[in-house]
Amino acid sequence: MIMKTTSERNKQTTLFIGPQHPGITGNMMVKLLVEGDTVVRAETHIGYLHRAFEKLIEQRNWLQSFTLLCRFCVPEPDPMELTYARAVEAIEGREVPPRAKYIRTIVAELARIQSFLLWYGGQAGSAGLYTLGQWTVGDRNYILDLFEDLTGARIYHMYIWPGGVRRDLPKGWADKTRRVLDYLEKRLDDYNRLLFDNAVFQKRAQGVGIIPKDKALEWGVTGPPLKGTGIGNDVRKDEPYCAYGELDFDIPVYEGGDVWARALVRRDEIKQSIRIIRQALDKMPGGSYYNRIPNPMKWRLPAGEAWVKTESVRGEIGFYVVSDGTEKPRRVHLRGAAYTHGISVLEKILPGQNIADVSFILNSLGACPPEMER
Amino acid sequence: MSIIDLKGLLVPLGALKQIAKEPHTIKYPDQTKEISERYRGFHYNDLDLCIGCGNCSTICMNEAIDMVEVEDIEGKPGDSGLRPRIDYGRCCYCALCVDVCPSGSLSMTADFIKVSEDAFDFLMIPGKDNPGGKDKITFDASTDTSLNLFERVPMRELPPEERVQSFAEVFLGYTEEEARIEASRCITCGLCTENCPVHMHIPEYINAISRGDDEEAIRIIYDNNDLPEMCGKVCTRRCEDVCALQVRGEAVAIRWLKRYATERAENADMIRRIVNPEIREPNGIKVGIIGAGPAGLTAGYYLALKGYDITIYEAKSEPGGMIMYGIPKYRLPYDSIQKQVDYMKSIGVKIHFNTKVGKDISFDEIYNKHDAVFMGVGLQKGYTLGIEGEDAEGVWAAVDFLGLVNEGKRPDMGKRVVVVGGGDVSMDSSRVSRRLGAEVVQLYRRRIVDMPADDEEIEGALEEGVQIIEKAIPTRVIKDEKGRVKGMEYVRAELVPPEGGGRPRPVPIKGSETVIECDSIIAAIGQKADFGLLPEKVQNSLTFERGKIKVDDERRTGYPKLWAGGDAVKYGRVDAISAIADGFYAAESIDAYFMQVKA
Amino acid sequence: MTTQDIIRALNETFELKAEVLHGNQIRVSMHKKQVAPVLLYLKNQWGFIHLDHVSCVDWIEENVFELVYIVYRPQDQLTVLVKTKIHREHPEMENMEGFWPHMRTYQREIREMFGIEFPGFEAPREFILEGWEEIPPMRRDFDTRGYVKRTYTTRPGREDAWSVREYITRRTGEKLPDFARKYSRD
Repeated sequence: MIMKTTSERNKQTTLFIGPQHPGITGNMMVKLLVEGDTVVRAETHIGYLHRAFEKLIEQRNWLQSFTLLCRFCVPEPDPMELTYARAVEAIEGREVPPRAKYIRTIVAELARIQSFLLWYGGQAGSAGLYTLGQWTVGDRNYILDLFEDLTGARIYHMYIWPGGVRRDLPKGWADKTRRVLDYLEKRLDDYNRLLFDNAVFQKRAQGVGIIPKDKALEWGVTGPPLKGTGIGNDVRKDEPYCAYGELDFDIPVYEGGDVWARALVRRDEIKQSIRIIRQALDKMPGGSYYNRIPNPMKWRLPAGEAWVKTESVRGEIGFYVVSDGTEKPRRVHLRGAAYTHGISVLEKILPGQNIADVSFILNSLGACPPEMER
Repeated sequence: MSIIDLKGLLVPLGALKQIAKEPHTIKYPDQTKEISERYRGFHYNDLDLCIGCGNCSTICMNEAIDMVEVEDIEGKPGDSGLRPRIDYGRCCYCALCVDVCPSGSLSMTADFIKVSEDAFDFLMIPGKDNPGGKDKITFDASTDTSLNLFERVPMRELPPEERVQSFAEVFLGYTEEEARIEASRCITCGLCTENCPVHMHIPEYINAISRGDDEEAIRIIYDNNDLPEMCGKVCTRRCEDVCALQVRGEAVAIRWLKRYATERAENADMIRRIVNPEIREPNGIKVGIIGAGPAGLTAGYYLALKGYDITIYEAKSEPGGMIMYGIPKYRLPYDSIQKQVDYMKSIGVKIHFNTKVGKDISFDEIYNKHDAVFMGVGLQKGYTLGIEGEDAEGVWAAVDFLGLVNEGKRPDMGKRVVVVGGGDVSMDSSRVSRRLGAEVVQLYRRRIVDMPADDEEIEGALEEGVQIIEKAIPTRVIKDEKGRVKGMEYVRAELVPPEGGGRPRPVPIKGSETVIECDSIIAAIGQKADFGLLPEKVQNSLTFERGKIKVDDERRTGYPKLWAGGDAVKYGRVDAISAIADGFYAAESIDAYFMQVKA
Repeated sequence: MTTQDIIRALNETFELKAEVLHGNQIRVSMHKKQVAPVLLYLKNQWGFIHLDHVSCVDWIEENVFELVYIVYRPQDQLTVLVKTKIHREHPEMENMEGFWPHMRTYQREIREMFGIEFPGFEAPREFILEGWEEIPPMRRDFDTRGYVKRTYTTRPGREDAWSVREYITRRTGEKLPDFARKYSRD
């Protein structure tokens, strides 16, 4: 929805983009002050998706909370579960069996791939290239099928919980996963042909929405937007968790800081994820997949706090979890990648851009409103 | 940059080659998607397996699950009779309800499509509204994947070799840490309370223990049980038979947890301080109690709290009745009883020891001195074997034998003892005989699995070297020339299912007579009451059933102002906790009676 | 650079006692007046360039809010949790929006959700909530269930639900005293 009002300065117009619009998952609004086709000032308005999850979690016990957490971000629920589980384990000092670590790694990487495929749709769609979105979202279903087999659900898996994972790998799942990965790998060339070789996308993406390299860290930029400025920080490499420390993978880095560089990073990330999953499947240790927690209704954590980070598709997400020694968390506070990308970073880089590129840039930043306001 | 990027315009056209390809989509409704083997769709509940514990409803953070009455399902001990109903407007399909279901009745199915314009259609009782779900179960919780902890924290005990050396307590009790862990297994459903004769507040005190509030646990326990430390050690713990976890695993160790909590109060003063009961002003009404066993003590304690003037008359020199004289000290040490009785005395309960009613004082005198009388005389006389030669020297009734040993005497049982019976008393007799240094052979008419004795007792006896001969019926006591026991003859039996159904009956096998040499024989085949203390006119106005007094639900007898309870009445089971329940409910009834009289 | 270097530096410069929380993470508590200088010091002197997170915890029993600023040094993955407690009555914290651009976002959220004021902070007051008239909702004394009951209606049709414990109690006649009831299942 686009609404127009005339501002006092007659050359400038206020434009509202959102709350419903293509380009991102969920509702948020960007209020723009434009002059001609050019953005002069941008302001993010959120509050359309506030579900008071953090408040509700304070009134649920440690296990019940995990069914809410995955809903923090619709396109990517698994890193939420994973980060929360790791935070709880850190407070409690609970060990996670090696097999669970590998399964978690695979789930996290599958979640990355499916989310990247969704991103393809959004990014191409906001440039007017609709075919690619049909393909990638269709192919994403193969990964959702894998999730369905593994966890019993397609989107909200509620699978990674404190102590390990909820169920062991089903029979034949590893082979099925390998087949899906082989198929996807082949499809990547098709995607390239439609997006990266496409003159329309090249012209729209290059030099647009630039994040300056020297400001990126200070602005709290993480994930593909950061790697697109030439800085290769990645939590999986920097502070390895799950099985990442034992697996071989590269962090794709591109210079430029524009939408194009971010897109290239994501394209390469899929390949790396496929590589990680293949290794994890090959190295999958035996043994238990779950270090059983006590009766969830009477499970008390020792008093303490934890700050745990995970690399999600949109960047770094972290959970600050505080326990006061009772059955319920004192505080579970999410730091989503979109919290900076969708608000302060967006407001910084939009001025000077073309109105038509706003959605396009939003998508390339991985703004995710449900994660911003929770 | 060139004006026309030819490559960039042409390459995407390569996508056109996809046109010839078969689409990946399926043609609904001709084809349907294959549902994975773990799919979390609508629930299915096996209504017969479900015990209505409501754990599903408790874990559900969306408040999607209600526990409701369902047609044709009646509650019974171990089953609340309620069943879950799910509001699919709220359910998020997280399946935590499945993972916490102790019975394993709840699961999820491959069904997930339902279309209706009426929102009430989405309130569904799984199992009742979708009986077909049984064949479509996809997500269930095995005992491996369940969130219930099915294994009990083991109780530490003395090794068998050491046990038979003395009368030291066999079970050592939980440590604090063990108790907290064991208590945390409880799902707080409360099914257990129904099987407890006095309906102790079990989930509450276990929850208090799990939270580390031991003193609160003690207060809750004393609310309707004044002898909890005794119960914590030797209760028949029928509560554990209906524990929700027992369906697929080991019941919560309710008895051991009660023991843990009550042992925190080390003496009568501590009990008094912790329980800190509300004691009503004395009301001047006098109640006489015959017998200081569990029934009499309980009635006395709870009436004393209500302001009554209580006097207990006890024939023996120590309080406790059967729990003092019948239960061996390695199961229930002297101090455990004494400290609880001291506490009752501090509330104002008076006990006259060595006062046998009918001998030292007449029933009429007691009846006339008091405004009401409660009688809890127990079962004093052992049944005899009813076989040839049982008048021989060295043939004991178990109740006499155990009484003597508990008084501190150590009768000479000789080298080998034969015990007859299969209940707890027979196990006590065998294990006490082992501690007196004898070899023990125990005869039982049926199989070990049929024994009414507590499994733990049977196990303990076997560990201590008691030899149990199954399906053996004693036929004759063999005496020597001095009239002393020399041996016992028995026949083997086979178990024949009776025509009308029921428990298989042991039928002797002809010609299978065997003789065991032995020096003593203990008959532990049951006890009966002795109502000789009651004057004839009282006896005539009472109703007896199988040698026991019949009482109503409030434990009133047919005689005015006379209440009765314990093993000697025909109400409920024959065990200490039932006696406590009799005393507790009689106290309430007596109080209600006088409240009414006053009003 | 190691955790020990940072702990020592904080001690020497600010006389603060920092400790290791988990692995590469340092936790340090201080008076609220020290927070701004410490954060600037860590950012400018030690390269804690990345503001990871700002959180707030309501310790209503102690009558304080605890603010937690988490900063990160990418070179060697060091994290410092800078913590301070402020009074719950008229809570105020220094406005640090100039330190990092997203500090503004965090301060807006904390102001709205906990009612903590940042004098001189001029960002619009409404952020996530709209037309909110109750006490700040993330405070522990905000009654979520009461709010829901006041604000929304419950669809009828589920009144026949039983509490299992109560249902059994009715059947057995058990009298559950109040001091025991608080241990019953909710």
